[in-house]
Amino acid sequence: MTLKKRILLVDDDLDFLEMHKVVLVNHGYEVITATSAQEGLEKVRAEMPDLIVLDLMMEKHDAGFSFSKQIKSDPLFKKIPILMVTAVADATGFKFSLEKDGYWMKTDEFLDKPVEPAVLISKVEKLIGEKED
Amino acid sequence: MNTEANILIVDDEMGIREGCKRALSEEGYAVDAAEDGKTGLQKVKEKNYDLILVDLMMPGIGGMELIKKVHHCDPEIITVVITGNATIETAVEATKLGAYDYLPKPFSPEALSVVVKRGLEKRMLRLEAKKLYAERTQKMLELVNERSRLRTIIGCMADGVLVANLEGRLVLWNASSVKMLKSKGFDIAGEPLEYYISNEPLIVAIKEILNSDDQDFSMISHEIPAQDEKVILMANIAPVRDEDGKILGAVTVLRDITALKEINKIKSQFVSMVAHELRAPMAAIKGWLEVVVSGEAGGDAEQNKQWLQRAMDRSDSLLALVDDLLVINRMETGKVAQKMGPVKINDIILKIVDLLGPDAEKHKVSIAAELAEDLPSIQADVRDMEKLFTNLISNAIKYNRKNGSVFLEGKVEGNFVCYRIKDTGIGISAEHLSCIFDDFYRADDERTKKIPGTGLGLTIASKIVNSHFGRIEVTSEPDKGSIFSVFLPLEHRKD
Repeated sequence: MTLKKRILLVDDDLDFLEMHKVVLVNHGYEVITATSAQEGLEKVRAEMPDLIVLDLMMEKHDAGFSFSKQIKSDPLFKKIPILMVTAVADATGFKFSLEKDGYWMKTDEFLDKPVEPAVLISKVEKLIGEKED
Repeated sequence: MNTEANILIVDDEMGIREGCKRALSEEGYAVDAAEDGKTGLQKVKEKNYDLILVDLMMPGIGGMELIKKVHHCDPEIITVVITGNATIETAVEATKLGAYDYLPKPFSPEALSVVVKRGLEKRMLRLEAKKLYAERTQKMLELVNERSRLRTIIGCMADGVLVANLEGRLVLWNASSVKMLKSKGFDIAGEPLEYYISNEPLIVAIKEILNSDDQDFSMISHEIPAQDEKVILMANIAPVRDEDGKILGAVTVLRDITALKEINKIKSQFVSMVAHELRAPMAAIKGWLEVVVSGEAGGDAEQNKQWLQRAMDRSDSLLALVDDLLVINRMETGKVAQKMGPVKINDIILKIVDLLGPDAEKHKVSIAAELAEDLPSIQADVRDMEKLFTNLISNAIKYNRKNGSVFLEGKVEGNFVCYRIKDTGIGISAEHLSCIFDDFYRADDERTKKIPGTGLGLTIASKIVNSHFGRIEVTSEPDKGSIFSVFLPLEHRKD
């Protein structure tokens, strides 16, 4: 029996936190949640998740960026893939691409909110699969 | 001119008078005669003569004196001296006094005719010259007036005006341009632009127009930073052309668009803020619907219903946000005028406490009020007052702790009625306190996250209070509670 993969959701919007959780739990993942960057960092240290789904903009507008930077610059955690989600990219016309922005935006995948459940699952599977390889 | 020419003969010899009259009448002139200087002068004063034949030797006013006086009346009149004592001296003297010609007695009708004809031609030239002179004087006057009017007009303009000639020298300007460009020395005209202005981009733009070969363009607009970096000027520069389209100079009109730019910036910021605030709940609603529709969460009917309820709750908050935005818009555009009338705030507060009762019960918060009974009614808009106190009291309930309380107090303080809303809630820390009246500002932390709110409630409250010439104050202590005080001016008593 393989161990359940653990996913940490970090989002200050409780609706997104829960809707992502119910989808992921239904697909057999163990889900831990945090509603702030600070709480997220604590949970990473305590739980060592296999993947992080991170909201770009939280209480402070750049909280997501600094969070991912902190994770990716820590030798202990940098292997943990990060899936960044945001509700603002379309509204601001600020388009990210991993090829172009990857060097400064330390993240592995990027999605606009709301994320379709099927897309969320496929991205999560892909990132966790890559980590295994 | 012949037929219209009026001729006067002044001579004491009747023979001369009659002879001349007959000869000249035959040629079609209108001829009068006078037998002495005094009568002659009288006639000149009564009628416009073109030409006068004057005998020098007359009793009373002599010929010389008459010539002098006649020219005083009409400088363009032609005087011809006729005399028997023809000497060079008298002729010179008469000419000095303004006489045009000299006809020695005795003379033939033909000689008279030639002299008169020549004299009348001269008269015509003199009148023409006088007319032209008058016209020129009038034109000069008009020009001076026009220039003065132009200077006055451009002097009054709030926009800056600069006119440069083809050589790039300044020929006309107004006070606004001096102020906008903070120029040195606009005291004299005709120096190159660089003498007055140190704004390099503006000088380059004007010279570009002056040196342009393009025949078609009529104006170029530039945004130009002023010396003071906060100020932005819009420069409209137009070439002045002659009939062939050749450029003679350039007119520059400067407008300070700093405020406009600032307003545009604030507008864009507001729009992007609103878009974000609207998109987040929309995305959450859609997210829940997708969870249910896709079946990826694998919920049963009961769970699906719960998730749909989450979408419903979020759409309620979205609706509240749109409503609040509409309230702000209504107040800022003044589309619906406030209906000011006497309002008893106590009644409004009691009504709101009643309405919010179930809400308070749900939060396990008790409400108590101590409202002075004799509080006068104030001039206010009922709807605004309801909105104001609903926002403040519902905040006091929402941000309270379990088993907390809300205390409402109303009394007169100085020239104001003062209402205080005290709660025993989570309070507001000093760093958030200065921002709580800003659009969409919410003191986000672990405890406020689960409390729904648009971030516009206090913005609206403060706008309402301001529009009623009152003020709103807040004191707060984290974990102890907040006190919001609303001061609304008492109505001025008419007696």
